[in-house]
Amino acid sequence: MVRWWCTLTGAVILTAPVAHVQAQPARRTIAIDERLATAAGLAVGDSVRLAPTASAPTGAWVGIGAITRRSADPSEIARSDYRVRVHLDQLQGLTGLGDRIGRFAVMTRDGAAGARVRDRVATPDSVSAAINTMAFGFRAYPAAAVAVETSATFRVVNRFHRAIGIITIVASAIFLLCITLLKVDERRREVGALRLIGLSRTTVVRSVMLEASLIALLGSALGAGFGAAASAIVNWYYQGVYATPLRFALVTPGILAIAIGLSVVLGIVSGYLAAQRLVRTAPLELVGR
Amino acid sequence: MTPSHPVLSARDLRRAYLVAGAPVEAVRGLSLEVQAGEWVAIVGPSGCGKSTLLNLLGAIDRPTSGQLLIRGRDVARMGDVEATRFRLTGIGFVFQRFYLMPTLSAAENVELPMAEAKVPRAVREARARELLTYVGLGGRTDHRPFQLSGGEQQRVAVARALANRPALLLADEPTGELDARTGEEMIALFDRLNRDGTTIVTVTHDEELAQAARRVIHMRDGVIVDDQVRRPLDPAPRSA
Repeated sequence: MVRWWCTLTGAVILTAPVAHVQAQPARRTIAIDERLATAAGLAVGDSVRLAPTASAPTGAWVGIGAITRRSADPSEIARSDYRVRVHLDQLQGLTGLGDRIGRFAVMTRDGAAGARVRDRVATPDSVSAAINTMAFGFRAYPAAAVAVETSATFRVVNRFHRAIGIITIVASAIFLLCITLLKVDERRREVGALRLIGLSRTTVVRSVMLEASLIALLGSALGAGFGAAASAIVNWYYQGVYATPLRFALVTPGILAIAIGLSVVLGIVSGYLAAQRLVRTAPLELVGR
Repeated sequence: MTPSHPVLSARDLRRAYLVAGAPVEAVRGLSLEVQAGEWVAIVGPSGCGKSTLLNLLGAIDRPTSGQLLIRGRDVARMGDVEATRFRLTGIGFVFQRFYLMPTLSAAENVELPMAEAKVPRAVREARARELLTYVGLGGRTDHRPFQLSGGEQQRVAVARALANRPALLLADEPTGELDARTGEEMIALFDRLNRDGTTIVTVTHDEELAQAARRVIHMRDGVIVDDQVRRPLDPAPRSA
């Protein structure tokens, strides 16, 4: 016999019912999440007993009808509790709260929504308006509005990441420019000799820019590969830790295009500035004469 | 190229620098004529103006006044772009420190001025092989400078200087970085080049190199104080 505490998340989110496992014929079914199934060693077809507390003497026997996988929802990441989906009357029985419901979700689809609602609605907002008009004591919100409200924290985090990204890019650009200037300056004598034997300023600038942009392209390709590998490791690790399909680090084609494009542009610009600095110096001065 | 045809003609050449606000003349009214096929060694104490003169002859620097004609072209009046082009096609340079591109092979170093002069790839590859064979490095065309000795690097530099068939080969202390034996080999190479028709002007402190030249010019305080022809020109030189 296995006992455990869990959080029920169905139409209403509450805490504390106990599921009690025993080999009995199932009558009705419930759904449990993957994490609970793994922790308790449950599988579809097993029977459990629903009771409000671990020590409760009675409870309804139900079968495991489905094992659900958690959605890729960032707000669920830090939650270590289990999820059990039960029927509304079962939930009422477990909580002892009767008809007192804090909140619930309505999903409209063909044949599911009431005629009155369906006739009056065309958009999610007007569905909410219709419900607010019909139902007393409820306030309805479209799913998008709820999502916006719940993701406010993540928008702030996203802005923070964006700011870090911009600072990193600016710092990298300055660093890249300094490195390019130093590396090109190490070739003063070579460039001076090339100028002395008749290579034009344009040729020198073009060569330095070509080299800088090729290095930038190669560097960004290696960086993208490293980023993809690091992203895969991060996702693998945290998806395991939090038992979620959520991807924690993303390397999208758009991000790759921005990274490589920015890198090449920076390479070209830094190469150009470094080369200009050299070709504006007299060849004799470059070779130290 | 026919002997006794002036490749280089300088008239009252002057070059002054401002040192602490005061003009100092490194070359003072120097006149000089170099015939096709000559090998001229310019010698003199440090600070006598020989390197300044070489820079003027090579269109690297511009005289303050005077006239300088190379192959009939007034180098003193050339702008930067024209002078750069002239250095590419009209003059070959050999430096004391070789100045080879470390990432390029010997053949690629020789091809570099030809590539800049838009010589077709097949032609410049053949010319590079020919020149490297001429300087005794036919078997080391794919070696990079760090794989070559100092003498071999200087030979590559000589081959590079000859790549675009210049009218004049200028060498600034070409044996300065070489040991005695390698220096002798370099002198022998210059001698062979000259006998094959290359007009050479060298600036040197190396007495042996100066003795090997056909003509030795002594400079002091920016002027020529002595000009000796040691060996007359050969009657019919072959082109290098």
